[in-house]
Amino acid sequence: MSLPLREDAPSPDASLALQFDETDADLLARAFRTSGDGPRAWRLNGEAHRISLIDGFDRLLAWPSLRGVVRYPHQERTCVRVLREMRGRAILADEVGLGKTIEAGLILKEYAIRGLVRRALILTPASLTGQWREEMESKFELPFAVLRSVGDWEHRPFLIASIDTAKRDPHRALAHRKSWDLVIVDEAHRLKNRLSVNWRFVAGLSKKYMLLLTATPVQNDMDELFNLVSLLKPGALHTYDRFVERYVGSADGRVPAHVSELRDRLRDVMVRNRRGIAFTLPPRRVHSLPVRLSPGERRLYDNLTDFVRDAYWSASGRMSWAARLTLIVLQREIGSSTFAVAETLGRLTQSPLFGAAERERLEALQEEARAITSNVKALHLVGFLQSSDEKALVFTQYLRTMQYLRGVLERDGYRVVVYHGGLPSPAKDAAVRAFQRDGQIFLSTEAGGEGRNLQFARTVVNYDLPWNPLRIEQRIGRVHRLGQEREVHVVNLWALDTVEAYLMELLDRKIHMFELVVGELDLILGTLDERRSFEDMMMEVWTLRQAEERRAALARLGDALVRARDQHDAMRERNQEVLRDVSEEVPA
Amino acid sequence: MSEADALRRFVLDTLADLGATMSEAGPLVWIQVPERVRSDLEVSATFAITFDPERTGDFEAELVAPGSLFLERIVSLAASRGRWDVARFEAPGADWIERALSECGLGSERGVRCETEEIGETVLVLLSFRVSLVADEKRERFHLIAVSPTTGSAWEVDPVTADSGLIAIPDARVPPDLEAAYRLGTEKLRETSREAVDRFRSTSLHLLEEEVRRIFGYFDRTIEEIQAADPDGSHDLLRTVRGERDRRLAETLERFDPKARAALCAIRAIQVTTARIRLHLPGDVWADATLDAWSRRVRGVACVVCHGMEGPWILHEGGVCCARCRPTLAESARPRGRPRSDTPRRGTRDGRGSARSPRGSTARSRAASGRRRGP
Repeated sequence: MSLPLREDAPSPDASLALQFDETDADLLARAFRTSGDGPRAWRLNGEAHRISLIDGFDRLLAWPSLRGVVRYPHQERTCVRVLREMRGRAILADEVGLGKTIEAGLILKEYAIRGLVRRALILTPASLTGQWREEMESKFELPFAVLRSVGDWEHRPFLIASIDTAKRDPHRALAHRKSWDLVIVDEAHRLKNRLSVNWRFVAGLSKKYMLLLTATPVQNDMDELFNLVSLLKPGALHTYDRFVERYVGSADGRVPAHVSELRDRLRDVMVRNRRGIAFTLPPRRVHSLPVRLSPGERRLYDNLTDFVRDAYWSASGRMSWAARLTLIVLQREIGSSTFAVAETLGRLTQSPLFGAAERERLEALQEEARAITSNVKALHLVGFLQSSDEKALVFTQYLRTMQYLRGVLERDGYRVVVYHGGLPSPAKDAAVRAFQRDGQIFLSTEAGGEGRNLQFARTVVNYDLPWNPLRIEQRIGRVHRLGQEREVHVVNLWALDTVEAYLMELLDRKIHMFELVVGELDLILGTLDERRSFEDMMMEVWTLRQAEERRAALARLGDALVRARDQHDAMRERNQEVLRDVSEEVPA
Repeated sequence: MSEADALRRFVLDTLADLGATMSEAGPLVWIQVPERVRSDLEVSATFAITFDPERTGDFEAELVAPGSLFLERIVSLAASRGRWDVARFEAPGADWIERALSECGLGSERGVRCETEEIGETVLVLLSFRVSLVADEKRERFHLIAVSPTTGSAWEVDPVTADSGLIAIPDARVPPDLEAAYRLGTEKLRETSREAVDRFRSTSLHLLEEEVRRIFGYFDRTIEEIQAADPDGSHDLLRTVRGERDRRLAETLERFDPKARAALCAIRAIQVTTARIRLHLPGDVWADATLDAWSRRVRGVACVVCHGMEGPWILHEGGVCCARCRPTLAESARPRGRPRSDTPRRGTRDGRGSARSPRGSTARSRAASGRRRGP
């Protein structure tokens, strides 16, 4: 393609010729050689074309086909504005929890329906690739694949890639060689530095439309805002020198100047919805139920933990990734129930991952686990449920625990509805309906009704605690979401002197996780450590042999979390200050 | 009919046309489809659909709504079928000529007398087109263009009424020259779409120009600032900035470059009764014309002002003018006292050479042929 030179301004006299499709000739050649499909097929041919006609962005087409998405006017307004006024290039800077992902998916779907987007790339932090794929598939019917190999750049028109992977060769070169109709960058504040590899990678992509998603476009100084906007629309905030001269009011670059003019310019490229009072969710009330394990359970827990610590460190780095993962699973299962861990222990007695001596220990542990016929935590659960008439969602990570709890609860006369990932879709629908109709307990694994409307309940019981705090957040989010009008109760059951106790120490006491707005936790954990997951960090602390070492490591992790939260709070304040008038308050 | 009803009818009709059997059960419709269409629809032999997003997933029902994959597949299948068809239009009663003339303003109530010279048959070709205007947005229109290969004329048809009165016939004369009909149809389509295409182009180019100006402004000034800060500075940096500018410009051009495309969707041959008539207009003027029972368009009559051949017509000083030119006439003719033109009007005794034929000089009407005119 040749570049338009200044002298080559498009001539207003030239007219645009209607180009006829080359396949018309085929039809003319084929027509009437055989009898047609009949008059009804002719009529339906015309209707098929008329039904699928596109007339600009006069109205949104995607809403009726979305699944499990509640229709909020602020999301619709954002979508219309980005499509019509910003012409597909925008920073979506809603405050956390207002649905930036839904807005981006909606915009993408509108383009896809119109045939304007046939190749799309979503760049996210590595930890969010799966979540994006799941949302695009289940809510928008968009067949995204997560980047696995270099061949995906060629064969996958809808691709999700971790930005850290995509920016490195050979991926970088392949991504730059392609022409993308739409590029979405999640957590786009990671593009704050124009000298960074991230920024240069995204700038080098050839794209028609681009959406940058971030709740905090300004993290430290005003440069970051300039860099983000320049990715979308270079010149929208003048040149860099002029921007600094005009819109930066302090030497450290943190204070904006000519703020109202700056906000006017930002309105052309940025949409920011913020929570109005009526849009704020009702409060969460957190109930912590610490449990003292029975002597048998305690012994099993300690013996198993000793085994995990020994195995974790014995080979000092020679242990395979699979064996490490297995140890994490064991430690998580024992935190759930003895029934969950018993089965895995049984399987591992035959596993080549462990040596003969270790297998012997595993066998002994299995026998110990099998000997335990009831768990104290279940009795506490029943005790709590008896104190309330409310419908409750009880979450566990494991099917074995679920089976055990179902028996316990049904014996106590509760109407229990079970819900797990193995149920076929109609059975899942039936389960949700049964719970709404007359069910008392919705006993669910992690697949607990993502996207399904469960706001008629308001009590969430975490029978066990996933080590990934985002999973805890997702559980609570099943009922604590837009549309919930009553106070939500979150009940956490956990045993003393276990990993889960550590988890509660960090998440509840240190960063008050249960008081955070949906979505804030992602941002806090995102600033904690980009390379290691929170689960890995927990395991590293827990497997330390000496109690004093563990306490010190836990304190360090706690301090890091507190710093991350403070940093997040400061950023939120800064963005509110700079972007105040760009924002629109979301009413009820 | 609401949009939702129209969508439902279209989907169920298409499935029925594909040989499916259906039974409705509340919000679900259970469908059984023959083997041959299962792979096109990506479904099993029996499946459920629903038009209610809330019921999606009940018995794994496929959602049918704008934007849903199932609708996309149904639309694609329906658009690949029914691409040609033959139909017949029976003249509705013996007085169809008189009624057709009245409808276009040339009825006996206006003092026009009609002499039927010949009743015959012809084949009209109906072409459906999808026009897509694409830049960074898309606008589409559906057009039906009818072509009369015998008279060499083409006109736009309202899709809503196009089917009315047509009877399917399994076998019929195939239009003699489909390609010629297609050429006439495409010319007509260009003409009818011109205004929309020009408007779209102008909007897109305006946006393109704005964007190009901004990009040049930003990068050129950035280069100036770099040079001012360090006159002997890095040439590599400047080269990088220029490279980035060129890449952005290419991206912008790709984004806003307007394209106008049309695709032929389907063809229908319509057998229809035709009449060759002579119209005697008030004022001792006559004109030869033809009309067919389906379109009821009088062909062979031209507007005295614009020479257009699209009715309806208004009698005007021994000739006819089209509805579009009527206001022009009202404004410009009498009140200003302009002298009458010396140019003889077509179809009058003095205007024998000026008659216009829809097929050009090779198909001149009797009015132009110099034969004896009517009373």
